[in-house]
Amino acid sequence: MTRVAAVGDIHVGTDSVGRVAAGLRRLGERADLLLLAGDLTRCGEVAEARIVADELRDVTVPTVAVLGNHDHHADQAGAVVDVLADAGVWVLDGTATTVEVDGVTVGIAGAKGFGGGFAGACASAFGERAMKAFVEETAGEAERLQRALLGLDTDHRIALLHYAPVEETLRGERLEIYPFLGSHLLAEAVDAAGADLVVHGHAHRGSERGVTPGGIRVRNVAQPVIQQAYRVYDLRDPAARVA
Amino acid sequence: MTTEPYLVQHIQDALAADPRARELGVDAQVVGGQVVLTGTVATPGLRAAIGEVVDEVVAREVGPGLQVVNEVAVMASGDDGPAEELS
Repeated sequence: MTRVAAVGDIHVGTDSVGRVAAGLRRLGERADLLLLAGDLTRCGEVAEARIVADELRDVTVPTVAVLGNHDHHADQAGAVVDVLADAGVWVLDGTATTVEVDGVTVGIAGAKGFGGGFAGACASAFGERAMKAFVEETAGEAERLQRALLGLDTDHRIALLHYAPVEETLRGERLEIYPFLGSHLLAEAVDAAGADLVVHGHAHRGSERGVTPGGIRVRNVAQPVIQQAYRVYDLRDPAARVA
Repeated sequence: MTTEPYLVQHIQDALAADPRARELGVDAQVVGGQVVLTGTVATPGLRAAIGEVVDEVVAREVGPGLQVVNEVAVMASGDDGPAEELS
């Protein structure tokens, strides 16, 4: 069994010192790796990233993250990534990494993702330049996620996102803002490449559980949704699956 | 005087822009002569700051008489929840 801990939207600000670290104290006993689904900071300031790094200092399991929209707000995303990387966090951006737990390999492909809406009611790359740029941003994120997933040859594969790939995990949010919360292009990419699990955040009023049209489990781990320091998902190991 | 639909959006714009808040996850509604704020944020300090920012917007745009009710919750971060087994 591989135990995957995940949380998103911890929104660490300068008034948050100690809050995240307190929740992670027993993480090493409960999980084999930690996924952070974006919006680690409140405004994407380097000072906030340093607090995040400090909050994670006692985490002993491999930690993999993507950034969220809040982490981009101050236009310092590169510096935020550097601070997190120096603290030992793998920050994915259309890329992948592999973690080995007791001989079982877990591949994580990560991307921030972006909005656009969901099949049948979504934005199209048509008309004004700004509209095309919006849709192309999401299409590019989806394409890079798919490529990163396809590059993984591991026992388990997980897609880590900030934005939502399906509508089900948005239930509770106002319908009118769905196009700003995610895109079906992300689910389509995951379904094309295959994965065991998709983890995302961003939708604070959404729901935890959903599934892609291709049948892959989706979990919204935004902290206001899970109301926990993190959620743990147990992935059955390949040998146990055969048995 | 600002009408209610614009007031609600001006409150949300202020919460996103004000350095004390920088928050997108709070809803504002005008109900029964009150501005009611709902949502979940990371810290008690942020919850209080949101109340201050909204008080200022309402005072500026409407004046006295419209009370702000801060129903924003602070998110829980305990570590005793059950694991989910994905078969």
